[in-house]
Amino acid sequence: MRVWRTIGLATLATAALLLASGCSLGGDDDDDNGGEAVATTDTTATTGGDTGGDGNLLSTVQSRGTLNCGVNEAVPGFGFVSQGGEFEGFDIDYCKVVAAAVLGDADAVEYMPLTAEQRFTALQSGEIDVLIRNTTYTASRDGSEGATFLTTTFYDGQGMMVRADSDYQELEDMAGATICVLSGTTTELNLESQFNARGVDYTPLAFEDNDPLQQAFTAERCDGWTSDKSQLAGIRSNWPDGQGGPDALRILDVTMSKEPLGPVVRDGDTTWASAVNWAIIATLQAEEFDISSENIDEALGSDDPEVQRFLGQPVEGEAFDPGLGLAPDFAVEVIRSVGNYAEIYDRNVGPDSALGLERNLNALWTDGGLHYPPPYR
Amino acid sequence: MSASTAAATRRPPPWRDVRVLRVALQALFLLAVVSLVLFLLDNLVFNLRRLGIETGFGFLDQPAGFAIPDSDFRSSQSVRAAIFQGARTTLVVALAGIALATVLGIVVGVARLSPNWLVRRTAALYVESFRNVPVLLIIIFLYLAVFLRLPPIGRAVEWVDVFVLSNRGLVVPSLAGTGSTGPFLAVVVVGLAAAVATWIWRTRRFDATGQPHHRVLWALGVVVAIVAVGFLATGRPYGLSLPERGDLGVAHGFRLGPEYAALLFGLVLYTASHIAEIVRGSILAVSRGQGEAADALGLSPFQRLRLVVLPQAFRIMIPPLANQYLNLTKNSSLGIAISVYEVTKVTRVSIAQGSPAPQAIAILMLVYLVISLSIAFVTNLVNRRLALP
Amino acid sequence: MSVLEPTAQEPMPVPEPPRRTVGPRAWARENLFSGPANTAVSIVFGLLLAWVAYRVGRFVLVDARWEIIERNLENLLVFRYPRDELWRLWGALFVLAAGFGLAAGIGSRGAAHATALTALRRAAPMLVLVGVLLAFAGSLQATLLVAGVTATAVLARLAGTRLALRGRIAPVIGLASLLAAYLLVAHFGGVGWRDWGGFHLTIFLAVGGIVLSFPLGVLLALGRRSRLPAVRWVCIAYIELIRGVPLITILFMGAFMLGFFLPEGVDTPSAVTRALVAITIFTSAYVAEIVRGGLQSVPRGQVEAAQALGLSTLKTTRLIVLPQALRAVIPATVGQFISLFKDTSLVFIVGLTELLGVAEAITKQPDFLAQGLLVETLLFAAFVYWAGSYWMSRESQRLEQRLGVGER
Repeated sequence: MRVWRTIGLATLATAALLLASGCSLGGDDDDDNGGEAVATTDTTATTGGDTGGDGNLLSTVQSRGTLNCGVNEAVPGFGFVSQGGEFEGFDIDYCKVVAAAVLGDADAVEYMPLTAEQRFTALQSGEIDVLIRNTTYTASRDGSEGATFLTTTFYDGQGMMVRADSDYQELEDMAGATICVLSGTTTELNLESQFNARGVDYTPLAFEDNDPLQQAFTAERCDGWTSDKSQLAGIRSNWPDGQGGPDALRILDVTMSKEPLGPVVRDGDTTWASAVNWAIIATLQAEEFDISSENIDEALGSDDPEVQRFLGQPVEGEAFDPGLGLAPDFAVEVIRSVGNYAEIYDRNVGPDSALGLERNLNALWTDGGLHYPPPYR
Repeated sequence: MSASTAAATRRPPPWRDVRVLRVALQALFLLAVVSLVLFLLDNLVFNLRRLGIETGFGFLDQPAGFAIPDSDFRSSQSVRAAIFQGARTTLVVALAGIALATVLGIVVGVARLSPNWLVRRTAALYVESFRNVPVLLIIIFLYLAVFLRLPPIGRAVEWVDVFVLSNRGLVVPSLAGTGSTGPFLAVVVVGLAAAVATWIWRTRRFDATGQPHHRVLWALGVVVAIVAVGFLATGRPYGLSLPERGDLGVAHGFRLGPEYAALLFGLVLYTASHIAEIVRGSILAVSRGQGEAADALGLSPFQRLRLVVLPQAFRIMIPPLANQYLNLTKNSSLGIAISVYEVTKVTRVSIAQGSPAPQAIAILMLVYLVISLSIAFVTNLVNRRLALP
Repeated sequence: MSVLEPTAQEPMPVPEPPRRTVGPRAWARENLFSGPANTAVSIVFGLLLAWVAYRVGRFVLVDARWEIIERNLENLLVFRYPRDELWRLWGALFVLAAGFGLAAGIGSRGAAHATALTALRRAAPMLVLVGVLLAFAGSLQATLLVAGVTATAVLARLAGTRLALRGRIAPVIGLASLLAAYLLVAHFGGVGWRDWGGFHLTIFLAVGGIVLSFPLGVLLALGRRSRLPAVRWVCIAYIELIRGVPLITILFMGAFMLGFFLPEGVDTPSAVTRALVAITIFTSAYVAEIVRGGLQSVPRGQVEAAQALGLSTLKTTRLIVLPQALRAVIPATVGQFISLFKDTSLVFIVGLTELLGVAEAITKQPDFLAQGLLVETLLFAAFVYWAGSYWMSRESQRLEQRLGVGER
């Protein structure tokens, strides 16, 4: 009988230990436990008062030493897990950009994959510091999700992909068609409203996950696939030759919605928002100045005072500090460890990558695109 | 004398009085439970307000904003109507699944005890393969590897006006109501009532005189006669809606979609493997003497099964069978993974379109509770009727 | 004439020798071709089986492209666990092999000695699974490590049968090795459970779920049989409510709402924690029903005898009723664990990447995108689940026989 008590105590001890590690946020490195618990309590207290804004998060993140970044783990090109178990992608690189700027170390990031439903709750509750998860900037999100949207990093739009041998040119042609769409996103909403506005009947097939969706489209279960054009382009450029290769598919020349994608932070902390925002703008400015991770060291010795100021080098004795709370030379670390916008773009979604997307709207204003970094002065 | 009776009637002090303790403990327990629940609800309401999410049930009257395929539901109808539509789908899947799984399960369970080695082995192979794989995997796999691989609509398999088979579904002719459908249905109801009356009459005659009742034949005959007369009298009560193949789908007819079929067959295959094991166990639990007595009486193996063994096995298998029925009903929620718009999927989509999560999920759980309790109630009734007195 | 007189008749004909009843031909005749109907059925089924075997075999061995599994084996097993800390997982496997081997050895003392053949047959599903995994891994180091783990388990089991330890210490050793393995993997520089994924996460959710829900389930079962109506009705309400809804709704509740129930100042728990809480709540109701059955099976005479001896209610429950009840429900509990093991695949729907989630996620890598490899990955995941479940259900049947449950 005594052994039952022992078993009971052992079970309770196990349970207590598991719960204890769970309460300290999953039991990371023991050193981080205490710091993390304290830090996040602070930020949750900030959230409790809606109009707070005492700028705690920047110092919290800096003292914690890691950045909690909400990401996607299954979106090709933007956020996915490589064969080596590492996170890679366009949005992942921007997490690194923020970490490099705020913490001086691009690898000091804790990636937290989130579903579409969880992302805003996680941001509000302080579980993550910044949400970089191909999230569209909309008025309702700005207003009622308690979120602040920062500089757009990727200008996208919702499109429709069909088989090349079908006759569709416009959405009106698709009366009675079956359209595959990913459930729980603005894509589904836009699909409904676009077809309703045109008075066209259709049948939606809404999957929770992209994989069954893709199989259904391949099997010609549905006639159209609607998603962000960047996603469609990536899927099209990887279409296997056994199915006819990329030429077997066509993306309609219709933009069903504007989808400006960018990082998101919590309402009410303007210091944090500004800091993260300028970290992102730095990558665009770096491309405008033609500074990349390859020539950063030469650029440090440049004569151009604009470049000097941008890189936080002393101009007439003093380095320029705009008062963001970041180190004056934060841009150097960003460019050196992650690169400028062109490098980030080309590495993850550019013409030579798996997605094969041209710059188009995502080029700098000097090249006819929409990126126009505000002056750093 | 008076001292002892006085001692016997003196109550112990409250902290040792069992009656007082019972009431006190219960009061304390209830207090603890109620305060815990209130604490949680309080936090819930506070956090919802903080995030600007509504805390009432007004969202039920809002337009849904999404369409439900294969139904008449339009996106302008209310969320409440959407949930009803989803619940209807869940019920249909559950009832059809229960019926099919029971039939298949009994067949496979009996096959497991067949004298033919190949049949035994095949049944065992089926049971052991499907029992040990998660039902979600079976459903997804059936959808992707079987139903989606049917020919696309452009190359559909057709048999003129009888059916069209493609990966958009199997379409068969359906009955379309006409003007005289109403009266015809009334005649059918009359026929059924007459059949029940005939059944009772024949049974009474059998009890009184001992002559064979043939009540099944009599009842069937009555129904068929009355329905035939009604059919002729009302003209054409039903028309046939024949499938017509188009480029994008099949118009008219009754369609069984691939998602629906994958969900249904996945559930049936999985649950039937469990039911087969239950049936096998119940048949083995019927004492051997019964089977031997049946053999001694000269009954064929089939008669032995149908008249002696199975009825007794039935009594044993009802409770675990009820459990499997409940599991099947709850597993129908997995339609969410392959875009079947049963009630869980509808709730999930409406949450994504802005309904508040806590209330929506509470309603969802309520729907399942009602369905589960109904099924449990019915099976309990059957169990009690079959139980040995 | 008299019976005793010899008759001058021709000798009786020598009867034909009886048909052989042993040997493969006789067996086939009896089992497959005993009558026309039986023969027809045998032919039909035989052809059917042969065709199925051919199609499956052709797919698995010829058509399928297994490269995606080879390159992602680590992802499937442990997902994002840092690759340079994998030694912790191997270490945990060694610890578990030693602990569970020892416990099994102690527990099987007195049982009939198994020959090597029966031991192999018992372990067959696991051996097949490990073999397939090693074939995909294709690395000598992995093979050696697996051999080491197996050797540790076998040696520990032998040691358990020889050592002079009390039989009741076996479960304690099992639990202690679980704890040690967990600490090795998650603490002291390891990675906490919020970052676990793949098959590792599946096992963690299943084991964690059953271990955490067991105490709660026992309490609920006892409460349900309480004589205090308030306690009884609250427990009944909880059990019936949880058992009446699908696991997916409780997972949704955990995923979307758990954070809302917590007061200000407490951080939202991680996704894995939320799933674990949901699974625990769900399983505890089922464990409660199982334990209730066990409690009902303890004869009333036991309770009456305990009362006659003057034991209080608490002592009776703790010392007399519970031990017998729990012993009776071990097979049913193992069955529930197997169910739970399969049900962990549902957490995929709330965004966690356990085995099924990884199987879907790896088809999105640039090398494998849009090639319809979902069939291969799903088959692999199904095979892993199948091997685990099948092996555990066979062990559970053996355990049931050994414990003599249902026999007086």
